[in-house]
This record gives sequence, C-alpha cells and structure tokens, in this order.
Amino acid sequence: MSDIKHYIAPTTLEQALETLALGRVTILSGGTDLTPQVSVGRRHFEDTLMNIRRIEGLSQISMQGDEIRIGGSATVSDIRYHDLIMKYAPLLCETASHFASEQIRNAASIGGNICNASPAGDMIIPLLVLGASVELASWTKGVVQTRRIPLDEFFTGPGKTLRNSNELLAAVIFKKPSADFVGFFRKSGPRPALEISTVSLGIGGEMKEGKFQHVRVAMGAVGPTPLRGRQTEAALEGQKLTRTIIDHAVLAAQQDASPIDDIRATKWYRNHLVAVFTEELLYNVCQN
Amino acid sequence: MSEQVAFQHIEKKSLIGTRIKKPDAPAKAIGKTRYINDMVLPQMLYAKILHAGRPHAEIVSIDTSEAEKLAGVYAVITAKDVPDLKLGFVKDNAPLKGKVRCERDEVAAVAAESEAIAAAALKLIKVVYKDLPGVFSPEDGLKEGAPIIQERFPDNKSLRFEFKHGDLEQAEKDSDIILDDEFNVHYVTHCCMGTSCAIADFDHNGKLTIYSQTQYPYNYKMDLAPALGIDPGDIRVIQPPTGGSFGAKLDVYPFEPVAAILAQKTGRPVKILFDREEEFINSPTRQPAKMHVRTGCTKDGVLTFRSADVLMDNGAYTSWGPTVPVIMMRTVSGHYRVPVVDFKGQAVYTNNAYAGSFRGYGNVQMTYATAQHMDMLAEKLYDDYGLDPIAFRLKNAQESGEVTPQKSFLRECAFAECITTAADASDYVNKLKKYTAERATDDRYKRGIGLASSIHNAGGAKIHKSDGCGTMLKVDDYARVTVITGASEIGQGIDAVIAQIVSEELGVPVEHVTLVNNDSDLGPWDVGVHASRTTFIAGNGARRAAIKAKKQILAAAAKQANVTADELDLRGGYVVQDKDGAVVIKLDRMLRQMHFQPVPDVVMVSDYYEPNSEPEGKDHISDHSAAYSHAVHIAEVIVDTYTGEVKVEKVTMAQDVGRVINRMGLEAQMEGGLAFGLGFALSEEMLFEKGHLKNPSFRDYKVPTAPDMPELDIHFIESDCAEGPYGAKGIAELPTIVIAPAIANAVYNATGIRFFNPPMTPEKVAHAIWDKKRTAS
Repeated sequence: MSDIKHYIAPTTLEQALETLALGRVTILSGGTDLTPQVSVGRRHFEDTLMNIRRIEGLSQISMQGDEIRIGGSATVSDIRYHDLIMKYAPLLCETASHFASEQIRNAASIGGNICNASPAGDMIIPLLVLGASVELASWTKGVVQTRRIPLDEFFTGPGKTLRNSNELLAAVIFKKPSADFVGFFRKSGPRPALEISTVSLGIGGEMKEGKFQHVRVAMGAVGPTPLRGRQTEAALEGQKLTRTIIDHAVLAAQQDASPIDDIRATKWYRNHLVAVFTEELLYNVCQN
Repeated sequence: MSEQVAFQHIEKKSLIGTRIKKPDAPAKAIGKTRYINDMVLPQMLYAKILHAGRPHAEIVSIDTSEAEKLAGVYAVITAKDVPDLKLGFVKDNAPLKGKVRCERDEVAAVAAESEAIAAAALKLIKVVYKDLPGVFSPEDGLKEGAPIIQERFPDNKSLRFEFKHGDLEQAEKDSDIILDDEFNVHYVTHCCMGTSCAIADFDHNGKLTIYSQTQYPYNYKMDLAPALGIDPGDIRVIQPPTGGSFGAKLDVYPFEPVAAILAQKTGRPVKILFDREEEFINSPTRQPAKMHVRTGCTKDGVLTFRSADVLMDNGAYTSWGPTVPVIMMRTVSGHYRVPVVDFKGQAVYTNNAYAGSFRGYGNVQMTYATAQHMDMLAEKLYDDYGLDPIAFRLKNAQESGEVTPQKSFLRECAFAECITTAADASDYVNKLKKYTAERATDDRYKRGIGLASSIHNAGGAKIHKSDGCGTMLKVDDYARVTVITGASEIGQGIDAVIAQIVSEELGVPVEHVTLVNNDSDLGPWDVGVHASRTTFIAGNGARRAAIKAKKQILAAAAKQANVTADELDLRGGYVVQDKDGAVVIKLDRMLRQMHFQPVPDVVMVSDYYEPNSEPEGKDHISDHSAAYSHAVHIAEVIVDTYTGEVKVEKVTMAQDVGRVINRMGLEAQMEGGLAFGLGFALSEEMLFEKGHLKNPSFRDYKVPTAPDMPELDIHFIESDCAEGPYGAKGIAELPTIVIAPAIANAVYNATGIRFFNPPMTPEKVAHAIWDKKRTAS
C-alpha cells in the first residue's frame, strides 16, 4: 500500500527547498534506484513524494569559470552526449556508456546516483577521479543556502552520505581538467549490459614529461563506500610508469581495497579484479 | 477484377519453407496484446498467498482473525479449509500446506478488493512455526536418520529410473580408454516475461472457468480437479495470450487451485498474479542433477559403453522435474552409437525448491556430460592415436535405419551431415589445432572452438496414452477458414504454421485463416505444447483436415464442371485446372453454390491425428517418438584469462529439421533456444542457502542481454521425415540442449580447463585459471 500522501513537482529550486524544509519528503529524481528499493521494502515513501525533474535549470551542464557544473537532475544520457563533457571529461561519457541500459540511462540522474551512495555506483568513480565536489542546497532562514563537500568525503557508509534531509544535491562540480589529463574507467560483471559492477576502477592524472602527476584513483564495490585509492595514488604520484612502478601500484591497490564476499562475487575475485584492472588502466595511461 | 482473373492461369506455388509473419507479432511489438496479466473481470477480487519463507517447520497455529476483519477482505483460507485436496505427479503436494517443506510453501491465502488490501491482510495473519532440521542436498537426504520430508516416503526416496542394455563388465574389459567424471548441473528457472497468473470464476451451476497460462489445457483439467474436489468435466480452461511458458506451465501449481478455491468461496472471479520476486521463488526450476558418467572407447575410436548414475534433488514435492530421466536414458545411449548402457537415476526429497518441466527436459543436463565426454575422447584419440576428431565422431554417429538400445527407431537420420556441415562451415579442425597450440602462449585473450551435439525426440513423445491432436476446420461462404485446434499457442508460433499449412492446401491467403485454440470447451483434445511436438503433431492434423476440406470442395466443383476431382486444384482463392492453372470458379462462389442448394453441402471437417509412435511403457523400451532429430553446435569463444569473462563470438548450428516449414519461425526458435542455453552455460544460476533463494531478481539472476548474443550461422539440414508434415520434424528443444557443452568444449580448447559444474561465470573461470597457474608454478 502506498504511503504517499502528496505528490509535488516544483519548477523552482526555492519551492523544492521550502518543501524539503518541512520534512517527511522523498525526493524522486529518476526513480531507477528508489522504485525497486521501495518494492523490496528496503526504503519506504515519506508523506510527500517530490519529483525534482521539472526544476528549471537543475539538469543544466555548464562551464562556470574554470569549473564544470553538472546539475543534480541531469540524466546519465544528458552527460553521455553533452559537448562540454565529451570535450573536457570524456572519462564521464565512457563511464556513462557502461551504465545500466539505454532506458535506465535516460531516466537515472547524476544526483540520484550519488545520493543513493551505493558502493557500486558507477558514475561516482570517474567523478572521484576528476576530484569533484557536490553542492548541497537548503532553505535556511528564508533564503537558499549552499555548501560544498568534496565527493571523497561525502559518503559515510552504504546508502549513507553527509546530506541532511533538508538538503538537495543541486550540482556536482569539478575543475576543468588540464590538457595533460588522462583518465580511464573499467567495470566488471558477467554480461555487457544491465550489470551492477562486481568491481569498478578509475584512474586519472596529468601526464607531464613522462611522469604521472596529480594522480587520483577511485574504486567501487570494494568497500562500504566508493573510495579513493590513496596508497595506489602514493605509489604512482610523480612516477614514470615503469613495470616496477605498475607492480607496486597493483600491490598498493589491493591494500586500498577492502572487499567482502557477497552473492555477486567473493572477496578473492574482487581483489583479483582490482589487480587486473589497475594494471590494465595503467597500461592504457601509458598507451595514451 | 474477377472478370480479368477469369481468363488467367494460376501457377502452383508452395509456401512451405517461406517466411510467414506471426499473426500476433505487431500487436505484441506495440504493446497492444492483452495478456492474461492485463485481464480484469467485473467484480473480480485479487488474491495473495502467504508463503512460509522457511524451509522446514511444523505449523503450530495460524490466526487469521485480524486479516478477516480488514475492510475489503472477502476470504482468508488455510489448509484447514481444504484438508483433502492433492496435486502433483505423485499427489504429494497440496494447494495449502499443513506442514512447511520448502521456502515457497503456501500457508494461507487472501482474496480482497485490491492487491494492496490482500497484501496488507497477509501481514495480519499470525503463524506460529516450529522449525525442524532440514535436508538441503540429496546426499544428506539419503543419510541414516535424515529428517523425513514427505511422510509417505520415509527414506526420502522419490522417483527412480533404471535402464540396462548389454554386458557392462565385458564392455569395460574391451575398452582402451575409460572416462569417469562427475558433472553437476545447477538450478535455473524459466524467467517467463509474463509472471504466473490465474483467474478463476465459478458459475451458478458449479462450473469453473479458469483463465490460465497452461501449456496442456486438456490434461490440466484432470490434474486440477483433484486439487479442487470437483469433476474434471466441470472445468473450462481459457488461455489468453501468455508471456512465455517454456515448460513452466506444464503442471498445475498451488496458486491455480488457490485462486479457484477462493473464487468458489467468495462467488466472485479471483485473480492471482505473481510479482517478479514471487515468480523467482514460487516457479518450478530446471531439474538439477549430479551425474556420474563413465564412457568407454577402443583405441580405434569405437565407443564401447556408457554408464550414468544420476542423483537428483527432488525438492519438497514432485512435479515433472524428477521424471527427466525418461529423456536422459534415451540420450545417454543415443546419437552416438553406444552398444552397452547402464543408467540409474534417483530423486531424493529435500527442503529445496522443486523442479518442473523445462525446455530440453533432462537432455540439457545429460548432453552437458555426454558432449564433453565425446570431446575428451576425441582429444585423447587424436593425441595418443592420431585419430581425426571429426572422423572419430563420424565413426560413431548413428545413421538412418538404426535402432537405439531403447528401441528409438531412427528412420531418417542426418546426424553425419550435421557434423560435416557445421565442421566445414566453421573450419573446426584447423581452428581446434591452432587454438590448442596457442594455449601455451602468455596472451591474455585466448580463443577456443568447441563442438557438441545431441539427439532429441522430434515427433512428440508418447508418455501419455495418446500423443495426438484434434482439429476441426470450416470453410465459410466467403472462403475464410477457421481452424479449431487442440494445440496451444504459447508464443512458439503454431498460429503462423497452421495458417501456412492450411493456406498451402486450400490455396487461400494466409491472412484468411483464423485459428481458434484458446478454449477447452471449443477445442478438441491435444496432449499439450511440449516435447518439440506441436508443428509435427498439430501440423499434421491441420494438414489432414485441410486435405479433407479440399477433397469435399473439389468433388463438388468437379461435378459442376463435369470433370474428375483430380483434374482440379485450389490456388490463389480459385478452383483451377490442375494441369495449367486455368481458373474454373472463384472459391467463395463455389462455396456459396455448395451451401445454398436443396441438400446443402457445407465444409466442416474434423481430424484426430495420432502419431505412429509407441507408448513409452514402464520399462522405457519403445519407439516413443514418431521422429528423432540431431543437432550440432560449434561455439567459438574468446576467454579473458585475467577476468575469466567468456565471450561467445560465433555459433555455427546445423540441425536436422526434416523440412523447413516457416523459415522465420524456425530461425526465431534457433535464436531463442540458443539464448536459453547461453544463460544456462554462462550466467544464470539460482543461489540457494539452506533452501532459501538468495537472488530472486533480474539484478542478481543474470539472463543474457542482447549484446551477449553471438553471431549465428544456421544450417538447416532437411532429412525429409516420412511421417512429418511435408517432411518436417520437431525442432524447439535442441538449440537449448546443445549450446552449453559446445561452449564448455570451446572454453577447454582455449584454457585447457574442463568445467563440469556450470555456469561458467567469470569468477569461476578466473579462479580455475589462477588455480591452474598456481599449481603449475
């Protein structure tokens, strides 16, 4: 039985935030995670179901100064085919093309994918590699207030984030990558479409004079949240990608990962894939 | 128009082998088809079933009083309301249970004004259980002192099958090579797009109309009646369009009598419709099997014997699953000539899910073993004795006129042609040698090629007293034909095939043939859609009926035209001269002239076609099918030896189809059947932990998606079956049966590792490769 008492679809951010401030609101932003979670009883609907897809400008993708800003309700398809993203962050387009299926990509939003906070959330990995932050908006003292949180601090556990219930993920923002930036994403699963990642991995950095710099490594489905591979980053930072360095990075990556056994894979296989993917992506970086 | 045509000559043109569009395809493609799942009847109630959710328990008490009080609830029933009702193959199942024997067990049911109210009412039913120790493997079920699942079977032994032929001891002595392996085939389920559904409605005379997805409407009445305590004659089965069956609807399952009991109790139509999670937990599975298989061979490459000891997890109740040895026994000894056979199959009750019928019916399991054993022998014979792998197979391949140890008579056998066609088309032998040589390299991606084959019944299987099908056919005053057939349409395409056959015989457009086959009060008897039989059996029936109608029309036309009937023919909607196609009279005009005369001559004919096969018999030694067919699949794979991912790039299929009838339907059956086998081989698996299904969703139960489908190179071998319609044989199961071992053989070719336990998931493959490397170093 539905517990929804009100359904609203605001057209301005202010209306949405005011509603959110009243409490007992479920945010609908595509619904591709929400609906199945409700139907299996993992989540329940609050009194008000608020569809944020009609908020003007919330799905916009734009360049602001040296930052790229993706509105919270931009869909995975919006991102995949956006000129700006294709030009400056093709890594995101690449990841988007591996995301679920065409129908789900057309509905699922970036804000939803981030706030669902699945350890296997695909879009989170390249965003971590790009050093993104989230912008949270709320209605405080009669005005719209925003705060920024780096994405790698945002997740606190499976399905848990620092977002307060009165806050809406307004945008995800990252600095325009430099011309030297290279980044790659890899995910695994038994079939090529509609797959929840068994393991996902992203590696990015600037390749300057043969040295790999400002390296960021991100991993999915190998811990309670999507995570930064700090030891791997340390093993790679400022290094030439020699065989020895890559071997060190592979070992470090397995230290960074802390996978568990579940019905999709064993801990052994996840560790194995972390090693395979780290080597594979670093090889791609070398080839680039 | 008719004046112009009157001077024309119409050539004889056959439709057989052409591409006929499935009549319901456009409506299905645009979402216009009203499936049973969409149906709403006036005053209809919605029912929900309370499942136990635990594998083995006494039911101490059930309190339904709160549920009954909920507004909108019309009835709540438990086992107490239906104490004596039984169902299932050995009547060990019941619509509602007084004791819990598996997770899905139906404990209570509610009928209410809406699904939401019914679901809310379920939550108000208080059941006190006393959990009992469970049995979760057949081995444990056979142990001394194991918990008893079914009181009538205190040793937990369910069905047993045995077949022996020849002197095994001598055959072992005569063998230079003996393979001895255990194959363990896992649980999978049908995943019909339309989830299980039934709508039951009683009239005031006590007659039940049940809207059902069943594949066997006539015997269904016989099986449903004792689960309701009514006469089978008081049941009318209506089959609205269904979203897939594949064997899952070849038995009565508890939700069907539950809907009927609630309809009886409330006096309203009652609908039960599963959601996807319920569908996963409460549907039949494919029969899992642990198969200890031994195969002997001489160094000249002549097979000497095969033995198979099959242990089956019966689950808590007996549906069709544990009867699969009926087919296993035949295929273990068929297709390659095996002179000595020893087969044993034992099913053991456990607290796990229970299996039903599933496309391939035992042969998916058995061929997974036999086709790998043939590949292992082929490798050994090549390595040790230099025997060519194709020559080895041809040496042992059965031929036309042979009779198997179980007395399957292979009248028209095109197995050798299937082997050579597929091997030549795929360049099998050269690739096999090349990839074997490449196995030792350090390359991450390894290619492999694998051949597998099997035999299957292709002219029905006379496991019932009759394997026949009735047909009634009328041709009306407008030369429109209505065919009332016993054969059910469950998506497989008999609608197109019958229209095509009738059109072929009566010379009317395919679109002028209407099929009526969804109401048991109208249709004559048919055993059901199973055993790759419908085109063969119902196709023959439709053809015979159409020929009768044609004779009647031509006799009347001949009399009028003052010629003999064999000088005339029916073509393009006209009666014509057979020799030159000269138009005699327009068919509709002819039919009206026959009708409107002092002694009306109306075209209404009937036929009951019984194939010339023999009853299965209790010893299982009989020619139980009117035809048998063979297929060869050659799979080409790329294995990522790091991640363990297996990509099937291409499959070359050669299958003896007797004769192509509807080419489009046939191709679709090949593709769809292969997709089933592909999922079984690589990704699909029901994961159970102490009787609890851990992955009841498409997220975690992985059916293949479109990008998984390989390139297909399909070769239809036409052996021209004397008994089949126009020479056709049944075709639908072999594509599912053969592909998995072809992939397993290809993965072996690529990696040097045998997978006896499907599915070959990336993790399983990666682990095996890692393990092999570790052991080697």
